[in-house]
Amino acid sequence: MNAAAHIPRWGMVVDINSCVGCQTCTVACKHANDTLPGVQWRRVLDVETGEFPDVERLFLVTGCQHCAEPPCVPVCPTGATSQREDGLVVQDYDICIGCAYCAVACPYQARTIAHDQRWYYGQETVQERAVEHADRLGVAQKCSFCKDRVDDGLARGLTPGVDPEATPACSAACIAQAIHFGDFKNPESNVSRLVRDRPNFQLNAELGTDPQIRYLYTTPAVPGRAAGAAELDEERLSDLANPLVGPVQTLWDWRAAMNWIFGGIGSGMAVAAWLVSYAGVVAVRNVPVVHAISAVLMAIGLFCVFLKIGRKLRFWRAASRPQTSWMTREIYVVAAFYPVVLADLVSPGEWLSLAGGVLAFAFLVCQAKILHRARGIPAWRVPLVPWMIVASGLLEGTCLLAIVLLWLQSVDRIAPLLALTGLALAALNAALWFAYRITAAKQGVVPLARSVISGISPALHVLGHGLPAFSFYLVLENSGMALAWMLTGAVAAIACGVYWKFMIVVRGGYQQGYAMPMLPQRGSGCFAAPPRL
Amino acid sequence: MAKTAGKKQVPIYCYQCVSGPDLLKVEVENGVATRIESNWDIRTQHPGGGRVCVKAYGLIQKTYNPNRVKQPMKRTNPKKGRGEDPGFVPISWTEAFDIVGEKLRGLRAMGLTDESGFPRLAVSTGGGGTPVQYMGTWPAFLAAWGNLDQGFGAGQGVKCYHSEHLYGELWHRAFIVSPDTPYVNYIINCGNNVEASGGVAGVWREADARVRGCKRVQVEPHLSITGAASAEWVPIRPKTDAAFLFGLIHRILHERKWEQVCDLSYLKERTNSPYLVGPNGWFLRDPTTEKPLIYDLADGKAKAHDAAIAQPALTGSFKVPGIEIGPDGKRWTHETAEAQPSFQRMLDHMQPFNSDWASEECGVPAATIRRIADEFVAAACIGETIEIEGRKLPFRPVAVMLGKGVCNGWGAYQCVWSQKILAILMGALEVPGGTLGTAVKLVRPAVSRVGSVLPGVDGFMQYQFNETSAGGWMRSPHIRNAYRTLVPLVSDSPWSPALGPAHLPWLFLKHQPENWPRTTVPGVWFCYRTNPAISSWNAPEIANRLAEFPFIVAFAYTDDETNHFADVLLPESTDLESTQLIRIGSTKFTEQFWKHEGWAIRQPAVEPVNDTRDMTDIATELARQCGILGEYVEAINGGAAGTSLRDREGRFDYSLEPSVPPERDDIWNRICAAASDDLSHGEEVHDLAWFRENGFMLRPFPQLDWYLYPALERQKLRFELPYQERLTRHGQQLAHRLKEIGVTWWDRQLTEYEFLPGYERYADIWVDYVSDAGRDPKDYPLWALTARSMQYSWGANVGLPIINEVANNISGHRGVIVNRSAAKKMGIAEGDEVVIESVSGMTEGKAVLREGIRPDTVLMIGQFDHWKTPYAKDLKLPSLNSLTDISLKLTDGTGSGADLMRVRLYKASDRHLHAGLR
Repeated sequence: MNAAAHIPRWGMVVDINSCVGCQTCTVACKHANDTLPGVQWRRVLDVETGEFPDVERLFLVTGCQHCAEPPCVPVCPTGATSQREDGLVVQDYDICIGCAYCAVACPYQARTIAHDQRWYYGQETVQERAVEHADRLGVAQKCSFCKDRVDDGLARGLTPGVDPEATPACSAACIAQAIHFGDFKNPESNVSRLVRDRPNFQLNAELGTDPQIRYLYTTPAVPGRAAGAAELDEERLSDLANPLVGPVQTLWDWRAAMNWIFGGIGSGMAVAAWLVSYAGVVAVRNVPVVHAISAVLMAIGLFCVFLKIGRKLRFWRAASRPQTSWMTREIYVVAAFYPVVLADLVSPGEWLSLAGGVLAFAFLVCQAKILHRARGIPAWRVPLVPWMIVASGLLEGTCLLAIVLLWLQSVDRIAPLLALTGLALAALNAALWFAYRITAAKQGVVPLARSVISGISPALHVLGHGLPAFSFYLVLENSGMALAWMLTGAVAAIACGVYWKFMIVVRGGYQQGYAMPMLPQRGSGCFAAPPRL
Repeated sequence: MAKTAGKKQVPIYCYQCVSGPDLLKVEVENGVATRIESNWDIRTQHPGGGRVCVKAYGLIQKTYNPNRVKQPMKRTNPKKGRGEDPGFVPISWTEAFDIVGEKLRGLRAMGLTDESGFPRLAVSTGGGGTPVQYMGTWPAFLAAWGNLDQGFGAGQGVKCYHSEHLYGELWHRAFIVSPDTPYVNYIINCGNNVEASGGVAGVWREADARVRGCKRVQVEPHLSITGAASAEWVPIRPKTDAAFLFGLIHRILHERKWEQVCDLSYLKERTNSPYLVGPNGWFLRDPTTEKPLIYDLADGKAKAHDAAIAQPALTGSFKVPGIEIGPDGKRWTHETAEAQPSFQRMLDHMQPFNSDWASEECGVPAATIRRIADEFVAAACIGETIEIEGRKLPFRPVAVMLGKGVCNGWGAYQCVWSQKILAILMGALEVPGGTLGTAVKLVRPAVSRVGSVLPGVDGFMQYQFNETSAGGWMRSPHIRNAYRTLVPLVSDSPWSPALGPAHLPWLFLKHQPENWPRTTVPGVWFCYRTNPAISSWNAPEIANRLAEFPFIVAFAYTDDETNHFADVLLPESTDLESTQLIRIGSTKFTEQFWKHEGWAIRQPAVEPVNDTRDMTDIATELARQCGILGEYVEAINGGAAGTSLRDREGRFDYSLEPSVPPERDDIWNRICAAASDDLSHGEEVHDLAWFRENGFMLRPFPQLDWYLYPALERQKLRFELPYQERLTRHGQQLAHRLKEIGVTWWDRQLTEYEFLPGYERYADIWVDYVSDAGRDPKDYPLWALTARSMQYSWGANVGLPIINEVANNISGHRGVIVNRSAAKKMGIAEGDEVVIESVSGMTEGKAVLREGIRPDTVLMIGQFDHWKTPYAKDLKLPSLNSLTDISLKLTDGTGSGADLMRVRLYKASDRHLHAGLR
């Protein structure tokens, strides 16, 4: 091997049969990286599967997998999260704005944000003060594979994975030699030999992330087995006491939901106003006014997001990654949308309104993609989600437009087209939601998220789809009380749009959890290793 | 982290648990200890790769804990009780020494013993001997003091492998047992939680063994950490392990062709299997030499055990002349006696205990018992050899391990005996791959297991039983737990007081037994690195007794449940702040099998954070205060602080001048010199500065010394197995002595002395205990057990938030583990507040639902239920120690109980429904 040209690919091999869950790696990591109380870059789960008397228990080393295809990197709007040539996925604390997009994009619960300095005893100790990292507050943090140890070690001529000083602290500290670190591109490295010689798997491999931690699960006495019914038991997969089950994400809270709510309604209305202006339902001169209202709504949503980010004064850095991040793209769209609307207000013009409408649609698409690319959250990443965001935004926008226009104009003038549009969009939303719900399991949406989806489905179908559709139908049928029905349908559709987005973002945002395709065959009853006679 | 010039790395050791020491380096920056990392300098010699376990990383928080006792304190409230505020106020060290010194001088003036003959000064330490690694020259102070009582237990017995300690030392110098993990291929492990309690070396070696292909079968009521890491978990009813093990033995002896599957030459040459047993149960002996006889099938004659015997008989019945020697010199002379080899006796004895019977008893399917026995036999490699350091030895890669709760309390003798029997049947005791001892604590010399293999009576290893003869028996106990009086097997080493019935003083203070010296409270009680008001069985009762102690001096770290009753708190400088040199290497528990031995230092990595003192300075000053400075210095010179400063053969002399109070660094400087001189035979003499810089010093230790077999073979000695003639003689003599003085309350314990251990339903002892308390056993349908925690065990670290944080990743650290289905039936959900109640106490916590536990069992990890220790008291964790009862009924013949209890469990919200039963 040509050492000069060789670029390593650092990775780990974790032997499940060696690990005893002692937490030495976890605490060694805490020491080496000075993490705050409650922050664990290296976490070892105590996993139990099966039912007495057929039970298996194992310990699963988790943390950043330094994926070859890391979902956290492309979503980052600032470039703070990046992948080095040697495969390490690293975080630049001085650039990160703490938007948490990377955290919700990670299917391994590897990232977190600590907003405030915390002390273990509730009061400062001289040691914690000596090792504090103010630069890490309010920004995303995660395991770095101890890149400083690796880099410093290499600079001193040491071999990471062999020399403990040059090896990530967890691996160097592991008292069971369960965590091996090394260069997967070097066929003679310890990790390469292990994966060559022994069966292994990657966590959540089906997501295409190609994680660079591989797990060994067999020994000569323990043959290993494929995951089976015990591991797929819905009740256990709905039990938050089961560490394999991902808890609901909390980094994108109601403030994040507000962006989809206000942004969806606002951009949807802007698109609708522009479209219906061609039908003469809206006077062309009014389109800028409607767009201005949309702009205000979108601004409210964006302000809510602004409130949520950890490093507000750095928010402008989110414009850094248009190549890959839909969050950056959203900012660019916003940056274009507002001047266009302003210009349209000052000097109305059809082309400006067209531009406003197109940009609003682009904004809606950005929002749809932002949620969709949060691949750590199964309920968000399914292919129907962007369509649902767009369709719901258009429905809510159309309905809000109807309400605004009812205030400006007579119902008779706007009713037919808007009611027809609303009816069609309600039907489309109903179809999308229905498909979302019934395909959720197949799409890998976790049981807890599915129960949220199922839980809100009846109300959503009746009040968010059925009632608007029925109301708009009555308006179209000229059955009287058009104004009342129009308002009823519009309000119901908007309310339910708000409802489902809030529920899916805030309540249904269960994280991926950990799926192990293979397990050691050890334990009791049917899980016990075979006899050796 | 990038290393910068302002940082330094200070080598020290961690000995927070019995599986230590682990060597580490403390990173210090600007005088502040910032991080811990393993001491990589020793990674090629240390049996665990030189790494430290999770507990070591707590040392920095231990140092900077704001809840530490920051200066000496004295009590201002004379009333003592859990509900009384001690009213501690800060005092100077001068005042503290004056107060304690005056008390101690007062004791000496009155005489070292009181009217009952018990020492007026009592000292308790905890943690399986780990405090010794921190107490500097304190042992020299104790040695200088003279007669003192170190027999007030802090959990010893129920919290240790008690029967294993005692019988283990007798049979194969095994205070603690370990598989020969680097070679073993099949381990039957009854509840030994080595992955949680075996320290770095244990975890490291066991993991290596698994990867290599070793199969371990874990037999226990709940799926422990160790069970999790085993190839198979066999759920068993609590306290029925003896039945399981008997079933295994029966399978080998009576269902397999034992002549074909056992190591016959080992049985014939290295055990007492061929010793003939006479009609009264005693060895049949040569009338002249009194040597036990063996029947030689080659010429049909009985010969002395050490004669040349061509074909020793293991089975059969032979008519031969001889004598039997029973208790108190009673003799039977037989012209012709019908005598059988011990092995034949064992065959007959084990006949009833087949797998089906065992299955009924222990709940493990009979087919599983048979299969495990067959796997064990199949893995034993009988006939194979291995070369260790040029010496060919038998290779028998099978072992049996026993856990706490299995090898203590009633039924433990049967388990420990079975463990050894399974080993000797395969020829797998003390040979490569087999079942080994790791350390000695009762026999001497303490620093050499192999060196302790000396010829004793009847062809066995020497073992010093406490005298039971009419002339030699200690009629009046010299300390309150009466170990020399009641437990012949516990011998009389410095460890014996703690290994005697260490709970009896607490019990006898409340219930004075008949015909026994009145149990008095000690005039002064020192407690060091122990918290018996939490760590003992029936901890709340210990607190009640402590309130009656007139004067307690606590070497305090933080407030805790024991020093709550103290009169003076003396805060010591802790792990990162003080100096000590300790012995490392050779073999010691739990799995520290080294190929080196030597010395390691602990030194101040940082200046004391508070107004604390190094224990050595405290010991020196107290010796001065008591007027025993000369004796104290002589004790140091004699080796009380780790090694003798004078070579016995006069090769070196680094001794201190007895008339001058020694300076701390001077003491350790001399100890460093003596230790290095002794280790290197004068080739390398290092001072304190050298050890501070280099951390440790090593010399090779032969792997051959891991095994006793070569030493026994060389001296033609035998393991005192399977037949227990000597033990039974002591038991019967003890029975006579106790009867002579009218003591009947130890009668039940005397039943444990048997030639071959019988079986009874030991679990019923705990069930009956409910009835004895006047309650209905049906109301207490569950077994409550405990298990060790890697993060906490022995660590005195419950007040450290970082340990709590990482421990919480392991199930059960937040409450009581209950079987999920059983909990559902009781209407209990995850996280529900529940009450666990026994006939003697109750404790509360959150329900943790798991599948890996029998439905009839609940489990509380570690020892909690704190009510005073800062931080820990807010965790609101339940503890078995609040449920167990200290009782003679629950005390076995070796003077220990087992850590389990019958309980009921209900939701805290249903408390009112259960009030009637209390």
